[in-house]
Amino acid sequence: MEDISLKVLPLDPGDIGTQRCRMGPMLMAYLGLKIGSPVLITTPGFDCLCTAWPRSDLAEGFLQFDSKCATADFTSLSYRNFSVSRSQMTALTCPKLKNVIIKTVLKTMGFKNSLSPNLIHDLVKDILKGTYVSEKHIVNVSHLETPIQLVVIECLDLSSSGGGLITAKTSISIQEIQTHNRYKSQQFRMSSISLGGMEDVFASLKEILNLPLLYPRTLQKLGLSHPKNVLLIGPPGVGKTMLVRSVVQEVGASLVTISGPVILGSRPGESEENLRGVFLQAKEASSEGPCVLFIDEIDSLCPKRASSSNAPENRIVAQLLTLMDGIGRDHHFVVIGATNQPDALDPALRRAGRFDREVIIGVPTLHQRKSILELLSSKMTLSSNVDLVALAEMTTGFVGADLSTLCREAALHAILRGSQGADSYSIDMQHFLEALKKVQPSCLRSSIGLTEFKPLSWDQIGGLEDVKLKMKQSIEWPMKFPEAFVRLGLSRPRGILLYGPPGCAKTTLVKAAASSTHCAFLSVSGADLFSPFVGDSEKILAQLFRQARACAPSILFLDEIDTLFGSREDSRGHSVQARVLSVLLNEMDGVGLKAAERRGSERQLCLPEGSIDLCPEQQMDYHEVCNKDVIIVAASNRPDVLDTALLRPGRLDKIIFVPPPDLEARRAILQICTEKMPLEADMSLEELAQQTHLFSGADLENLCKEAALMTLQYEGMDAPKIKHEYFQRSFQNMKPSLNAQQLDHYKHLFTS
Amino acid sequence: MSKSEFLSLHQALKRSFQNLEQNQKLWNGMLAECSPLMVSLGNLAEQLHALQNVQLERTPLKGFPDLRERLRFKLLQAVDTVMEKLYEKMAALQAVRDAVSNQAAAVFQLYTQHADALDMATCLQRSATCPSVADMLEWLQDAERHYQWELLKRKALLQMLKPGDLAYLQTSPKRWESLSNRGRDDIITETLCRVALFRESQ
Repeated sequence: MEDISLKVLPLDPGDIGTQRCRMGPMLMAYLGLKIGSPVLITTPGFDCLCTAWPRSDLAEGFLQFDSKCATADFTSLSYRNFSVSRSQMTALTCPKLKNVIIKTVLKTMGFKNSLSPNLIHDLVKDILKGTYVSEKHIVNVSHLETPIQLVVIECLDLSSSGGGLITAKTSISIQEIQTHNRYKSQQFRMSSISLGGMEDVFASLKEILNLPLLYPRTLQKLGLSHPKNVLLIGPPGVGKTMLVRSVVQEVGASLVTISGPVILGSRPGESEENLRGVFLQAKEASSEGPCVLFIDEIDSLCPKRASSSNAPENRIVAQLLTLMDGIGRDHHFVVIGATNQPDALDPALRRAGRFDREVIIGVPTLHQRKSILELLSSKMTLSSNVDLVALAEMTTGFVGADLSTLCREAALHAILRGSQGADSYSIDMQHFLEALKKVQPSCLRSSIGLTEFKPLSWDQIGGLEDVKLKMKQSIEWPMKFPEAFVRLGLSRPRGILLYGPPGCAKTTLVKAAASSTHCAFLSVSGADLFSPFVGDSEKILAQLFRQARACAPSILFLDEIDTLFGSREDSRGHSVQARVLSVLLNEMDGVGLKAAERRGSERQLCLPEGSIDLCPEQQMDYHEVCNKDVIIVAASNRPDVLDTALLRPGRLDKIIFVPPPDLEARRAILQICTEKMPLEADMSLEELAQQTHLFSGADLENLCKEAALMTLQYEGMDAPKIKHEYFQRSFQNMKPSLNAQQLDHYKHLFTS
Repeated sequence: MSKSEFLSLHQALKRSFQNLEQNQKLWNGMLAECSPLMVSLGNLAEQLHALQNVQLERTPLKGFPDLRERLRFKLLQAVDTVMEKLYEKMAALQAVRDAVSNQAAAVFQLYTQHADALDMATCLQRSATCPSVADMLEWLQDAERHYQWELLKRKALLQMLKPGDLAYLQTSPKRWESLSNRGRDDIITETLCRVALFRESQ
């Protein structure tokens, strides 16, 4: 007989809890089953032990079974398209059992406290009488109105793998009594969440939870009270909540969570009551094993009391503080708070005894990004050309959440744009690159300086070969060849100042530099920075630097820096500019970073002797160590008014003069400007370049435009080509924007 | 197919259904006797509760020494007596359950003994007057399970009663009532009706 699949239907209400399995009589005969004899149904998800009964309508091809005794506790089985094939059902011989060892799961903690083990034993014995059981199966008895929710069969006295029948004579020994919550939290332990790049933080959290559990006596002997509470600090999306969940599952602790909206009540005193209730709940859960009370977004629940004049809010903070102090001797109860604004927390919360430890999780570094990507892509089918190291390098400033979005986008691309009809989709590098255009790092989303620009290559800038080389040296090389920099003990410049007459491609040069390296590019103008409120501008600038550092390596571009900051000498009193300048000086070369900005663990490099060839892994190390700063690129056409403190080495230490184009450069610029213009054969760019002494790049571009416009003006809209004559005419109409005196001034600025 | 085994199985089934009818009467009688006991238990709980709240110093009874303790002792004694009676009833109920369960087990034993001789078609043969063997076995098992669950629920309820937990004690009569009026009591009556013709047939 061929293997027929049986359609599984929901159970008749009358059969619930009877352990019956309804099937057609033909099937029963085929499987050699008698009425009421045990049958084991094996499906991919679970096994289920039932007794065979004919369907009352005697129809074949359908199956209804009661999952009273199954390997998994499934209450929400989807009957849609669920079928069992005939080969998945086997008849069992179930002898009567003499002994059985079980674990009892009670509905609530209250029952556990009030019922004595003897009573539970009697109840369980009555409940299990006449039930067919098998090892590691779970008997669900929640439909009976007794305190017992589940019975887990731990061990039978049979050596065979089959099942057995529990009779009145079977001796039942209860190994453990648990509550349902605890049981559920232990079940989740099997399916752990995996985390990338957080091994050290994970280990330290795990230690805090496990220490009192594994070595209670040692701790007692030493008179140690273990660290109870941990505060996790880190930017949004970095995986704080995920970390807590995965640690909790790894340790097998039960998790109680607090969230602001659930706690806050409308009546006075209600919120405090709720808070107390949650702590009580955690306390109850902790009597059974380790327990974690997780307060997500603790800053919303516990803001600074001084700054808010809101009495109810202050009361909640006070209640939380007293509760955390009063945890007392409950050893398995750890409070973990998570926040992305540690400064907004009430300072009383951040003392030892309340939050003993503060764990800072920074924006992931290159290594961490790579391990996160590896983890995310482990379940995806990647084609061989996907280079995760390169992806990790490109995704500066991405946090875990961004990276998972990136992978999802890439997968979506692969499905949507992939070959239609093909069954196997594989994601290749192209899909990731497409996705990268859509996904922005979340630390830059709210940033003020984020700018979009068309990528520009170095070749699109005419001339200036010398300047280009210097720019490449100071921006591109440290990113591309970090190992060479380390080998020669070279540190990269902190800041670069481009100065020169207006219109000579300073801004364009920076754009080209930004697009040649895959790093975040932030640009600030006065409009972003200055605000009518006192102290606001400084705050904005400091925040800008913080964000830039979070997604380092990054380029921070300050155009027209002279107007932004000026000099302290000629300004009277405390102007905004002077204050902003002091912030800038501090951020560029201050004492250190804020503690909350720490990223990853500090890595030290040991230099390999002699060998120059490096594996990609080592190269990543170099990359990570060398490029963790922000490069400041400033542009100005009046460097003489800048503050001298800005120009000293260590701040803007690389000062590059961008000269007006010389003859060669002018020719190159004209070449690029007229690239898309149809020119008459008599046109000589050489001649034009010779004539246009003291013309800047911008002037030359304008000249070409004028010539093209004149062509349209005099020859009509269908003019095919631009004649040399028009270039000459527009040249006569224009004056160079530079003069010799100006140039002299620039030349002697830093040489004298 | 052997006729004799089939007939003996029918005989056994017939006997067990007759027993079931008697047991049902016994069971219902016992349950009816339990209800007033539960009500009096609820009353006692009410009195205990009232005793806890009343301020005897303000009543004319203040002259009696240790009145509260004495009253409390009396009430608790009464609770104990009622509980004792209830446990007696429970023992009787358990006896009924055991009887039904033994009957069912015996019939099943007989079936499994002759299972090889009886093929599926014979077991499923049914007529207007005589239900199939499979159906009858099922009904018998249902009846057994019904008694077992009913007993279990009541036992669990009684076991969770404690003199200290007055609120629970006060609500216990209601809980007891809610256990029985679920419409599942009819299952036995229904079964007996279904097999009425079979039982009368010779």
